[in-house]
Amino acid sequence: MFDAAAFVKEAVEEIKEKVKGKAIIAVSGGVDSSVAAKIGSMALGKNLVAVYVDTGLMRKGESEFVRNLYEKMDLKFVPVDAKEEFLAALKGVSDPEEKRKIIGEKFIRIFERVAKEEEAEYLIQGTIAPDWIESGGGLRDTIKSHHNVGGLPEEMHLKIVEPLRNLYKDEVRQVARYLGLEVAERQPFPGPGLAVRIIGEIDEKKIEVVREACAIVEEEIEKAWKDGIIEKPWQYFAVLLPVRSVGVRGDVRAYGYTIAIRSVDSIDAMTASYSKLPHELLERMATRITNEIKEVNRVVYDISNKPPATIEWE
Amino acid sequence: MKVYVIDNGGQWTHREWRVLRYIGADAEIVANTTPIEELSDADALVLSGGAPRVGLQDKLGKCDEYLKYMDVPILGICAGHQFMARFFGGEAAPAKVPEYGKVEIEVVEEDVLFRGLPRKMIVWESHNDEVTRLPSNFILLASSPNCKVQAMRHESRPLFGLQFHPEVEHTQYGKEIFQNFLEEAKK
Repeated sequence: MFDAAAFVKEAVEEIKEKVKGKAIIAVSGGVDSSVAAKIGSMALGKNLVAVYVDTGLMRKGESEFVRNLYEKMDLKFVPVDAKEEFLAALKGVSDPEEKRKIIGEKFIRIFERVAKEEEAEYLIQGTIAPDWIESGGGLRDTIKSHHNVGGLPEEMHLKIVEPLRNLYKDEVRQVARYLGLEVAERQPFPGPGLAVRIIGEIDEKKIEVVREACAIVEEEIEKAWKDGIIEKPWQYFAVLLPVRSVGVRGDVRAYGYTIAIRSVDSIDAMTASYSKLPHELLERMATRITNEIKEVNRVVYDISNKPPATIEWE
Repeated sequence: MKVYVIDNGGQWTHREWRVLRYIGADAEIVANTTPIEELSDADALVLSGGAPRVGLQDKLGKCDEYLKYMDVPILGICAGHQFMARFFGGEAAPAKVPEYGKVEIEVVEEDVLFRGLPRKMIVWESHNDEVTRLPSNFILLASSPNCKVQAMRHESRPLFGLQFHPEVEHTQYGKEIFQNFLEEAKK
């Protein structure tokens, strides 16, 4: 079985051995990058620069959460506000693979910029096994370009170190618990953020809609979990569909967007089954979403497993 | 025990490596073009799955050489299973009803792989192609409603094929199937 203590020891040694001088690490507030950063800080201390890019595609309250988390670690924390840069780059783009590539490229350029300022030559990444497996390369078909692997531009000027590359999520969580990190039980959040939870072209209005919808889904599901009504699903969120349909609100015709709720059970994201949530819970989420977000008048629940569907829609 | 996972490009190759490692094998993923001499310390091989149609080609890296010249137990999964069937004179083709996700199989012959397991079990699938005719020197071990050859073995050599994926968490007795396979390799 997996031994978290032994893993941490080896990973710290590996980073000490490979990294000469300073390294930067991309952090998101997710469990993977938090574990990689913690291990990196154990190896490098203040020679590790943790860069958090606020893409404007983050969950509600995420930036504050991340700041709190990293201020507790022995490293240098550098937040970058890149909201406008990302929005501009994604304008007019609706193809999911193109979105992921653009976001991956932007991320790397920003890290390169910070690395140059900090005179770091290394980039530590929290890439885990499913990321590089699904990104294809060689014999493998590309299912999705994960922003920290497949979206990587060819001419990288940074040397990459990926201490978690052979781990699966449940193993990373074991390491997080071992290290006493509060993010251990957090659900996964895709690198490209809310951009892949809006089908088609994104804009500020749609980001706001899907961010609110995701917050409602998270709140309600986490409440039901804490109340002992359900087991904690692996991942749960909302997707904004470009489909509009007719509704009626207070005797007035409405023509609004559709939100799909997705909630799945898995141990490693390689396979997943849709969560058999109680109807009362689904109804409560649907009611809140359609009442609190005026652009949405219809909510559907996604009952596909992986395979054939993937967890996220794009 | 040294087990090489021959990578035919499947999405779950890495899972095979992980399950093997968890049940105590010294597992290693290698390219399917690895020369046979470099596998001389193998106690068993797993031929992974791969993209659509790769199991229907006449060449799948050096899988043909492994099947021909190596006498250790070999487990073919998905595309690896289809290639094994074709190599021994059976047929594989695009499935009339491809299966993805949850499927129930029924064990016809317990043999080695299903030893001590229930006759019916939930497995997870992800295939576009399937074995349409069993090689004459192979025995059928399990079927599903839409795919007859879910599991097979050679009548005398320790060669096994599975259409479903024992390596993924959602398959009910996946770990036990791998354990049974490794028992064979201990002989």
